[in-house]
Amino acid sequence: MMAMQAVILSAGEGTRMRPLTYTRPKVMLPIANKPILQHLIENLARAGVDEIVLVVGYKEETVRKYFGDEFNGVKIRYVRQKKQLGTAHALLSAEHVLEDRFLMLNGDAIVFEDDLKKLVKEESGIAVFEVPNPQDFGVVEVVDGNVSRIIEKPEKPKSRLINAGVYAFTKEIMDYVRNTPISVRGEYEVTDSITMAVSNGFEFKAVEIERWIDVGYPWDMLKANEELLANLESKIDGKIEENVTIKGEVIVEEGSLIMSGSYIVGPVIIGKNCRIGPNCYIRPYTSIGNNCHIGNAVEVKNSIIMGNTKIPHFNYIGDSIVGENCNFGAGTKIANLRLDEKEVTVNVKGKVINTGLRKFGAVIGDNVKTGINASINVGAFIGNDVFIGPGAVVSGVVEPNSRIY
Amino acid sequence: MCGIVGYIGFRKADQVVISSLKRLEYRGYDSWGIAVKHNNKIMLVKRVGAISEDKMHEMAEGNIGIGHTRWATHGKPSEFNAHPHTDCSGEIAVVHNGIISNFQSLKEELEKKGHKFKSETDTEVISHLIEEFYRGDLKDAVSKTIDVLRGSYAIVVMHARKEELVAVRYKSPLVLGIGDEEWIIASDVPAILDYTSRVIYLEDGDVVSLTKEGFEIWKGNERVERKIETIPWSIEDAEKGGYDHFMLKEIHETPRVIEDTLFEYISEGVDIDVSFSAGISEIIFIACGTSYHASLVGKYLIEKLTGIPARVEFASEFIYNQPPMSRSLVISITQSGETADTLEAMRIAKKHGARVLAIVNVLGSTATRIADHVLYTRAGPEISVAATKSFIAQLVILYLIALKLSRLSRSEIERLAEELRVMPELVRKVLEQEGKIEQIAGKLAGYENMMYIGRGIGVPIAMEGALKMKEISYIHAEAYPAGELKHGPFALLGKNTPVIASLVPDETYEIMLSNIKEVKARESLVIAVADEHDSEIEKYVDFVIRVPKTDSIFTAITHSVALQLLAYYTARERGCEIDKPRNLAKSVTVE
Repeated sequence: MMAMQAVILSAGEGTRMRPLTYTRPKVMLPIANKPILQHLIENLARAGVDEIVLVVGYKEETVRKYFGDEFNGVKIRYVRQKKQLGTAHALLSAEHVLEDRFLMLNGDAIVFEDDLKKLVKEESGIAVFEVPNPQDFGVVEVVDGNVSRIIEKPEKPKSRLINAGVYAFTKEIMDYVRNTPISVRGEYEVTDSITMAVSNGFEFKAVEIERWIDVGYPWDMLKANEELLANLESKIDGKIEENVTIKGEVIVEEGSLIMSGSYIVGPVIIGKNCRIGPNCYIRPYTSIGNNCHIGNAVEVKNSIIMGNTKIPHFNYIGDSIVGENCNFGAGTKIANLRLDEKEVTVNVKGKVINTGLRKFGAVIGDNVKTGINASINVGAFIGNDVFIGPGAVVSGVVEPNSRIY
Repeated sequence: MCGIVGYIGFRKADQVVISSLKRLEYRGYDSWGIAVKHNNKIMLVKRVGAISEDKMHEMAEGNIGIGHTRWATHGKPSEFNAHPHTDCSGEIAVVHNGIISNFQSLKEELEKKGHKFKSETDTEVISHLIEEFYRGDLKDAVSKTIDVLRGSYAIVVMHARKEELVAVRYKSPLVLGIGDEEWIIASDVPAILDYTSRVIYLEDGDVVSLTKEGFEIWKGNERVERKIETIPWSIEDAEKGGYDHFMLKEIHETPRVIEDTLFEYISEGVDIDVSFSAGISEIIFIACGTSYHASLVGKYLIEKLTGIPARVEFASEFIYNQPPMSRSLVISITQSGETADTLEAMRIAKKHGARVLAIVNVLGSTATRIADHVLYTRAGPEISVAATKSFIAQLVILYLIALKLSRLSRSEIERLAEELRVMPELVRKVLEQEGKIEQIAGKLAGYENMMYIGRGIGVPIAMEGALKMKEISYIHAEAYPAGELKHGPFALLGKNTPVIASLVPDETYEIMLSNIKEVKARESLVIAVADEHDSEIEKYVDFVIRVPKTDSIFTAITHSVALQLLAYYTARERGCEIDKPRNLAKSVTVE
């Protein structure tokens, strides 16, 4: 296998992923119990990449601490992008460590081993991916197998192929990156560098990839979670008490204890040192992080529960994302279906957005504590470090550090 | 105060050093300079003025560089005196923040050995000493050099033929920033944050060797490990040292300012040079604003301790109302040294044959050129328009003058000098009252009128307290001698006018207490600033701000710091701008 370097852009906050990104960068959001970036790094390692350069910025310490100087046998180097001024700017801040050939990837989308291997083979190439709604992405036009243009969010897309944000570059690209002007979106974008290079006679092979998991909004995490759990294979390293029912594919990591009367339907992944049950019901497509407690008479369905969170008594969590280190009072429940059964809308950065989902619960930041019988309505976005008093009803966007009674 | 920077890594060192120096400009801005290593040579640029006003310099390519932004303490601001300073060979370049107290004797020794000095600075001895000790190992030469240095210093050194920086910290701040395959060392965090938020706060005596492979920290002959910390603030926060406003940061710098000013003028005894006082028959203080209040304290001290008659004039009035002057010493006090009214008054005083002493914070300012004698406060640059630490530094100089000229017994002078030496500690204790003062400020913020009262030295304390309150909180605050209340201002008192009383533990204490009772009878909210051991006062007032016990003459320092905090937190509660109050400028250069 050919030795290869990969540069991963991991510096952005991902403001559309708030409140989850108030306390971590977007690339560290966990899906199937691993940060998005970890999935990417593992897949790159399998594809033969032996050195990874992480361009970090927003809450960079969380990335540095998690991956260290070496991860899964791959050397990790860091480069700091002080301000996030675009993808070309990010690449420029890594210029001093670049090899003659390298891959460049956005750290917030997951691509897989086989597709990456195709890219590693190309000297200059761009991963393209076919989608039904290309107008929402950068659309790639291909002539004779080479990229001829990349157009951001065109009204009438001429192709269904979009830019997956994964590139194979030679160092010559830097001549264009350095001279890339600021775009109409106010950023220095590597797609503009590519367009300049193409008009100068450079050829970039359009490499069509089979799988691409992009996470734009918090509810996309649930879809990604579902996709990554779909091929799960059971592995029980924890302890299972008598009278526990496990159906389908379930991972229980070491140190975890599943207590009597628990009923688990896979695919479900349960991290290390969790206490599950007794008498709880965990339904498909649920990821539970390390050191969690899911207690008596609790039902969890199609949700991501991050580490150190306690959901201990008489709770219902459906189609939701719960941050780290939360503690739910007895009887706190999250609604996940409107009474009129319409699609759930949420408020993101001041705009009302339709999730397209009929069943969607809440997104809850880190360190949230709720009192007994607190009720959380569909589509609620609750900031980190929020206290919700007993019996309170919460809906809409709740700013971090709020107190709700 | 000065700011220093050193860089080693993969970027163009000149650009890094210049941008970092700009972040340190609050530490000094009268001149600057940088050095970059290029092909076994040291390239130098030095300029007078503020670095932010200079266009970006493009120097020779090089990935190792040092730089300095200066706030002159020895030698006037000039290109000769600007750092970096080099040795005779021009191969060793040094930037330094601090004061080398034994530089005169070191300089004489080095000159005897044939070293040629190019500047008037204390720093240049360091580069020549390193040259003297250098045998191919830079860290070793620097370690030997610091063994003979006295004073306070943070130093960064580079050598034309070494891919290395060596830095030392001793009683002056120095922070090492750890980037990705690059390292930056600087006086303060803002200079580093553009490149990394991971830092090591070096400790006194630490010697750091930085190469492109990494860093080592040595203390004496031992390699030491220091904890890497992550800075959670933004650059804007960092320039304020984590404080919300420069004013609050500067109030907190007061203990350090007192230490620095004392360090300059006091050793075994009070060794301030008072030759300016020979043959004088009176002292006239001229000043404006806060400096005027320092002058009132000065008058109190001079008359009480020396018996020399003294009076205080507003500089702006002195111009029209020129008093007769014969054998007069005029002491003009100005932080900036550029206050137009004060400068004009100084010129008039000189024309009338008076001797003029200036007490100034800014080296090389106009006042220092007009005056016959100059004494410097070591307050460092003050950014907040409302003067705080510079006022206290002015008081320290006045105490020293009064003590030096005093007719008290030797033992009494020594006792008072000793009291002055512990003043930084006492101010720290006042600063510990911050939370309490903030609470009291919360009660005051809703009022539109206030009265500050005191007696004796308490009068100028009250006046300065009221000035701070009005300039930043926009509350109408008046100051009155407590005994004068009954001659008019009593009519103003009532529920809507809180009274802030400075209670000095001297002969005024009892009568102040009865004044306070009279005020309380008018239903005013009363806040007293009083001694920590005073258990009487709390019976008569609503709130007490406690200050540590000291000789009554030094209450001007302890009470003023408390009242500065009170004004700050009141203004903050009212949502005022604080560092740049409306209609006001830091240095008033118009008449």
